[in-house]
Amino acid sequence: MQPDLQGPWSPLLGRLSLAAIPYDNPILVGTFLVVSVVALALVGAVFYFGKLGYLWRNWLTTVDHKKIGVMYIILGLVMLLRGFFDGVMMRTQQLLADGPDSAGYMGAAHGYLPPHHFDQIYTAHGTLMLFFAATPLVAGFGNIIIPLQLGARDMAFPYLNAVSFWLTFAAAMLCMVSLFVGEFSNATWVGLMPLSEMSSNPGVGVDYWMWAFQISSLGTTFNSINMIATIVKMRAPGLTWFRLTPYCWSSLATNIIGLTAFPVVTVALTLLGFDRYFGTHFFTAGYGGNFMLYINLFWIWGHPEVYFLMLPAFGLFSEIVPTFSNKTLFGYPTMVAASFSIAGIGWVVWAHHFFTMGMGPNLNGYFSAATMIVGIPTGVKAFNWLFTMYRGKITFTSPMLWAMTGIVLLLIGGLTGMMLSASVVDYTVHDSLFVVAHFHCMVLVIGSALFAATIYWWPKVFGFKLDEKNAQIFFWVFVIASLLVFVPMFELGLAGVTRRLDYIYNAALKPLLWVTEVGIILYFVSLYYFVKMLVVSLLRREPAAADSWGTGRSLEWLTHTPVPFYNFAVTPEIHSREEAAWRRDRGLDTARPTEYVDIHMPSNTGVPFVLGVLSFVWGFALIWRIDWLVEITTLAMVVTVILRAFDKNEGYVIPAAQIARYEAKIATASVVADVADEAPAGALEV
Amino acid sequence: MAHETMTADAAVRLWNAEADEHDPISARTYGFWLYLMSDGLIFASLIAAYAVLDNKMSAFGHPMADTLLSASQGFVQTLVLLGAVLALSLGTLGLKTGARGGLALGLAVSAALGTVFVAQGLAGLDAMAAAGNGPTASAYLSCLFVLLFTHGLHLAIGVLWSLVMLVQIFRFGFTQDVVGRLLNLRLYTQFQAAVWVVVYLYVYLFGGAH
Amino acid sequence: MRIWRNLGLLAPLALAGCSVHDLRLFFPAGPMADVEFHYTWLMVVTMLIVIVPTLVMTIVFPLRYHHSRNAKYTPNWDFSAVIEVLAWGIPLAIVLPLCYMTIKAVNALDPWNPPALAGQGSGGAPVNVEVVATDWQWVFIYPDQKIATIDELVVPAGRRVNLTMTATSNMNGFYIPQVAPMVDAMPAMQSKDAFIIDKPGQFTGFSTDFSGAGFSWMQFQTKAVTDAGFAAWVQGVQAGAPALDYPTFTAKIAPAQVNYGAKISEFTLADPKLFDEVMAAAMMGKVYPVPPALDDSVNLAAATPAGQ
Ligand code: HEA
Ligand code: HEA
Ligand code: CUA
Ligand SMILES: [Cu+2]
Repeated sequence: MQPDLQGPWSPLLGRLSLAAIPYDNPILVGTFLVVSVVALALVGAVFYFGKLGYLWRNWLTTVDHKKIGVMYIILGLVMLLRGFFDGVMMRTQQLLADGPDSAGYMGAAHGYLPPHHFDQIYTAHGTLMLFFAATPLVAGFGNIIIPLQLGARDMAFPYLNAVSFWLTFAAAMLCMVSLFVGEFSNATWVGLMPLSEMSSNPGVGVDYWMWAFQISSLGTTFNSINMIATIVKMRAPGLTWFRLTPYCWSSLATNIIGLTAFPVVTVALTLLGFDRYFGTHFFTAGYGGNFMLYINLFWIWGHPEVYFLMLPAFGLFSEIVPTFSNKTLFGYPTMVAASFSIAGIGWVVWAHHFFTMGMGPNLNGYFSAATMIVGIPTGVKAFNWLFTMYRGKITFTSPMLWAMTGIVLLLIGGLTGMMLSASVVDYTVHDSLFVVAHFHCMVLVIGSALFAATIYWWPKVFGFKLDEKNAQIFFWVFVIASLLVFVPMFELGLAGVTRRLDYIYNAALKPLLWVTEVGIILYFVSLYYFVKMLVVSLLRREPAAADSWGTGRSLEWLTHTPVPFYNFAVTPEIHSREEAAWRRDRGLDTARPTEYVDIHMPSNTGVPFVLGVLSFVWGFALIWRIDWLVEITTLAMVVTVILRAFDKNEGYVIPAAQIARYEAKIATASVVADVADEAPAGALEV
Repeated sequence: MAHETMTADAAVRLWNAEADEHDPISARTYGFWLYLMSDGLIFASLIAAYAVLDNKMSAFGHPMADTLLSASQGFVQTLVLLGAVLALSLGTLGLKTGARGGLALGLAVSAALGTVFVAQGLAGLDAMAAAGNGPTASAYLSCLFVLLFTHGLHLAIGVLWSLVMLVQIFRFGFTQDVVGRLLNLRLYTQFQAAVWVVVYLYVYLFGGAH
Repeated sequence: MRIWRNLGLLAPLALAGCSVHDLRLFFPAGPMADVEFHYTWLMVVTMLIVIVPTLVMTIVFPLRYHHSRNAKYTPNWDFSAVIEVLAWGIPLAIVLPLCYMTIKAVNALDPWNPPALAGQGSGGAPVNVEVVATDWQWVFIYPDQKIATIDELVVPAGRRVNLTMTATSNMNGFYIPQVAPMVDAMPAMQSKDAFIIDKPGQFTGFSTDFSGAGFSWMQFQTKAVTDAGFAAWVQGVQAGAPALDYPTFTAKIAPAQVNYGAKISEFTLADPKLFDEVMAAAMMGKVYPVPPALDDSVNLAAATPAGQ
C-alpha cells in the first residue's frame, strides 16, 4: 500500500544506500569527525579504566530517580550545546547572505549554506532545543527534586521512569544520526502541512523528525504519568496538599498538561505517518484532505507545550527566590492558583499561532482575548516573587542573579507576547523575527531557571558547590550575549524581516546582523566560563553542608549532602510547607533519626535500556523503510515487555543495621557513589 | 501560613518509621488510570478528526458511513465486545474467593470474544477496501479506517494481555503483581468498550445506514 | 499618530546605525496599515503602564533589600490581601481594555470586507486581483483587465484593491508591510485581503509562511501608480504581452530551481477561469515534482548535477 517512493529501495536495506551519507559536505564531515572522536574517546576511556561494568551497573540499568535525573540533565546540556551550534550556523548564514550582492561560498548562491541545508538546521534546532534540551533538563530536575521534596524513596514507578528516559535518549540519538545518515526535516519544527507530506518532502528528513518527535513524546507522556502518581501517592506523612512546595505544585500542573496534551500531538503525528507510509490523505491538499486539521491538532498540543516547559521554570524560581531572600514565599495560595490558571487557560488559546489564516474577526477576536487573559496569572507570579524579595535579606549568588534575569526576560517576552496575541499586531509581525525574538526571550527564561537550578542543587547531588566566581562570569557574559543576539532581532522583525530566511534581501540591515554576530561570539566566551566553572569545582570538590546554602527552606536540605541512594534514612514527618526552615527556626535542623528500620528498594534492571536501544533501531528502520527490521524490532519489543512481566522483580531490602552503618559513614564520605557502591544492585535480594 | 504550630520541641515527631508502606496496588491502579486518561485523549482527538473530515468535500466523491456501515451489524459487534467485558468482569469476581478456574474461564472467553470482535472489524474494513473504498481513496475514508483500526489495535493488545494473564495466574498464583495486572486489564477492557460505545454511537448509529 | 511614531523610534534607533526607514512597520502607507500601527502603539503604551513599574521593582527591590543594606526585614511576612488583590486586579484592569481594543481592531480589518477601508481613498472603482502563490513565485491575475503578471503587482494609488488568494501546492503568507495585513494563501482554499495605498510608491511584498527551498526569494514588487499610469500600464500589457492559459501557467511555475533573482513577467490572460482551475487542480490532488537538487536524501542530486 506504500505510496511510490522516489529513488531506490531494496528489500535488505530499504532506502538506505551509500549515497545517503553526505561525505561530500565538508561541514557535516567535519562535524562527524569531531563527534566520532569525542565518542571514541569516551568509549575508549570507559574500557581503558575498566568502567564498563560500573557504567552498566550504576547508570545504564539504574532505576534511582537521582541518577536518571542526572542522565536527563547531561543529555539536555549536550543537546543544548548542539542546538547552540545550529544557532551559530544560522546567524552566520544570515549575516553573510544579505542583499543581492552578497557573496556565496561552498556552492551556495548567497552565504555558505544552500536553502535545503539551512532549512534543516533551524528545523533541527527547534526540535532539538525543545524536545532534547529543554524537556530533558526540566524532566531531570523534576526527577531529582520532587521525590526528595516529597520525602519519598523514589518515584511511584521507578522502572517506568527509566523507560521514559531511555525513550527520550533513543529519540535524541535518532536526531543526531540524521546528521550523518540521510538528512533532517526541512519543514520547520512544527511540521508545516502540506509541506511535510510526501508530495513536497519525498526524502527521509520528515521521517526522522516525525519518529524522533513521536518516540520522545511517548517518553514524556510516561514521565508525566509517573510524576502525577508520585506527587499524589508518595507524600511523606504530614505532607498535606497545602504543604506541598511551590515547585511540586507547578510540576503537578505541568504534568497534567503533559498527560493531556501529548496524546493530541501523538495523534497528529500518527496521522501524518499514515499519510507518508500508507498514502492516506489526512493532511494533503487534494483528495478531501484537510491540512488545517493538522495545524489545529498541533497547536492544541503546541501551545500548552510552551507552558509545559515554562511552569517548572516558574516553580524553580519559587524555590530559589525565597532561599536567597532568606524569607518565606509571598502569596503561596495565589501562586498555586496562578499555576493552575495558566495551565487551564493555555488550553483554549491555540489558534493565536495562525491568526493570519483568515479565520474572520469573531474567532480571531476570541482567541486574542483568551490569550491576553494568560497575562493576569503570569503577572501574579511576577508580583509574588517581587514581594518575596521585598523586606528580605537578599544575597546575590549566581542562582539568584539568574532568577532576577528570568523575571526581567519574562517581562520583555510577556510584553511582546501580549503584542502578538492582539491579532492586529500579529497581522504585521506574524512569522517574523519579532516572533523569534519573543519566544527566545521566553525560552531564555526557562534557560535562566535551569542554569539557576543547576547551580542551586548541584551540591545536593554531587556533594560540592560549583565555583561561584566563574559562575558569575558565565552569567554576565551569557546575559550580555543574549541581549546582543535578541534585541536586534526585535528590530529586524519590525523592519519586516520574515523568519526562516536563508537570504535577507535588504542589505541595509547589515549593522543589526553584525550586532547579533557579536552576541554569538560572546556566547562562545560564556561557554568557556561554563566549562571552566565545572573543571575548577571538580578539581576543588570542597564538601558542602546538608543545607548547602545555609538558607534552604524545603525538605531536601534536611537529608545528607550528597543524598544517599535511599534519600532519607527514615521518612521524615512533615510539619510545615517549608520543613527545613521550620526545623531550623526550632533548632531541629541537625537532628538525625536514632532508630532505623529496613528499607525496601527497587532493584536495577536492564530492560529499559534494552527497550531504548530497540526503539532506536525500530525508528531507524522505519525511517529507512527496512521492513524486515521494523518487524523484528516490533516483535522484540513486545516480547521484552511480556518477558519483563514474568520477571518477579520484587526489589531488595536494606536491613536497618546496614542503614545505621551507612549513616555513620556518611559523615566522612564525600560523593554519592562512594555509598552507593556498597550496595550493588540486587546484592541484598530477599 | 508557613510556621503555623509552635509545638513544644520535645514532643515533635521528626521521623516516621512506619511511613514506608505505600499501598502499591493503589499507586499502580492510579497510574494506570492516568494512562487511560491519555488514551482517552487519543481517541478524543481521533474522533474530533473524524468529525472534521465527516463531510462531502472530504469524502471526495466516495461513499460515506451512510452507505458503507450498517448500524445493525455494528450492534452485533457491540454485543460481542460487551460480552468480552462481562466475561472478564465476572471472572475477576474469582479474585475475591481465590477461584482460579473461574478467572481462567473469564479470561479465555474474553480473549475469544475479543478476537471475534477484531476479526469482524477487520473483515468489514477489508470488504470496504476490496470495493474500491480503501483508506487511500479519500480523506474521509482515511479517517474512518484509522479510527476503527486504532480501536481494533487496542483490543488486540487486550487479547494478548489476557493470554499473558492466563499463563501468569497458573504460574504465579494471585501475587500482588498478578492481581494488580488483572485489575488493570479489567479497567483497560472496560475503557475500550466505553470508547467503542462512543464510536458506535457517533460513527455507526448517527452516520451509518439503518 | 506622529507622536507615537517619534516615541517608538527612539528606542530601536539607539541600538544600531540603521536608517529608521528600514523599520518599515513604522511607516504605514494606507488605511489598513494605519489601523494596525495605531493599535500597536495604543496597546504597547497601555501595557507599559504596568510593565515599566514592574521592571523598576525588579531592579529596585533586590538592591534595596540586599543583605548589606540592613533594610527592614520581615522573614515571615507571606501574605497581604491588599497586595494580592492588586496583583490580580491591575493586570485585569489592563487586559480588559486591551481585549476591547483588539476586538475592535480585528473587526475593522476583517479581510473579507474591511470596514477600515469604507469611505477611504479616492473612491475610484476597485481593482480586483487574483493571487496565486506557487513554488516559489507570485502570480497576479487581473480578471477585469484580462492580464496577468508574475512577481509584480501594479495598482492605482487611492483606489481599493480586492485580493482573492490561493496557492498551487504549499501554504504561503501574503504580505506587503506598510500596506496590507498578512493573510495566508493556501492550496485548494480561497482567502481574501484588501487594501488602499495612499500615494504612488514602491513596496516590497513577500511570503511569510515557510513554503520550501525557494521561499527566501519569493518577493514581488508592489507599484502604486497614478490612475492614468495604471491605465497606461494595463494597455501596454494588453497590447504586447504573451498569452497565459492553464498549460503555459503550469509550465511557467514548474519549480525547476530555486528562484534566485526571479524575473518579472507580464501576460495577457487567455483563460479567464485560470484561478478556478488552479484551485480545482489542487483539490484534485495535483502535485508538482520537487526540484531534484533540493532533495538530496534519495540522492537524485547525484543524477542531476543541476544547481550544485
Ligand atoms: C516558554 C515559552 C513561551 C511562553 C511562556 C510564551 C508566552 C506567551 N506567548 Fe508565546 N510563543 C512561544 C513560546 C512561549 N510563549 C513560541 C515557541 C512561539 C512560536 C512558535 C513557532 O511558531 O515556532 C510563540 C508564539 C506566540 C504567538 C504567535 C506569534 C505568531 O506566530 O505570529 C503568540 C500570539 O499570541 C504568543 C503569545 C504569548 C503570550 C500572550 C504569552 C503569555 O503567556 C505571556 C504572559 C506574560 C506577561 C504578560 C508578562 C508578565 C505579566 C505582568 C507583569 C502582568 C501585567 C501585564 C499585562 C497585563 C500586559 N506567543
Ligand atoms: C528551548 C528552546 C530554544 C533555545 C534555548 C534556543 C536558543 C537559541 N536559538 Fe533558537 N529556536 C527555537 C528554540 C530555541 N532556541 C525554536 C523552537 C526555533 C524555531 C525553529 C523553526 O522555525 O522551526 C528557533 C529558531 C532560531 C533561529 C531561526 C530564526 C529564523 O527563523 O530565521 C535562530 C537564528 O538565529 C535561533 C538562534 C538561537 C540562539 C543564538 C540561541 C542561543 O540562546 C543559544 C545559547 C546556548 C548556548 C550558548 C549553549 C550553552 C550551553 C551550555 C551551557 C552547555 C554546555 C554543555 C556542555 C559543556 C556539555 N533560533
Ligand atoms: Cu487554511 Cu492556512
Ligand atoms: Cu502559543
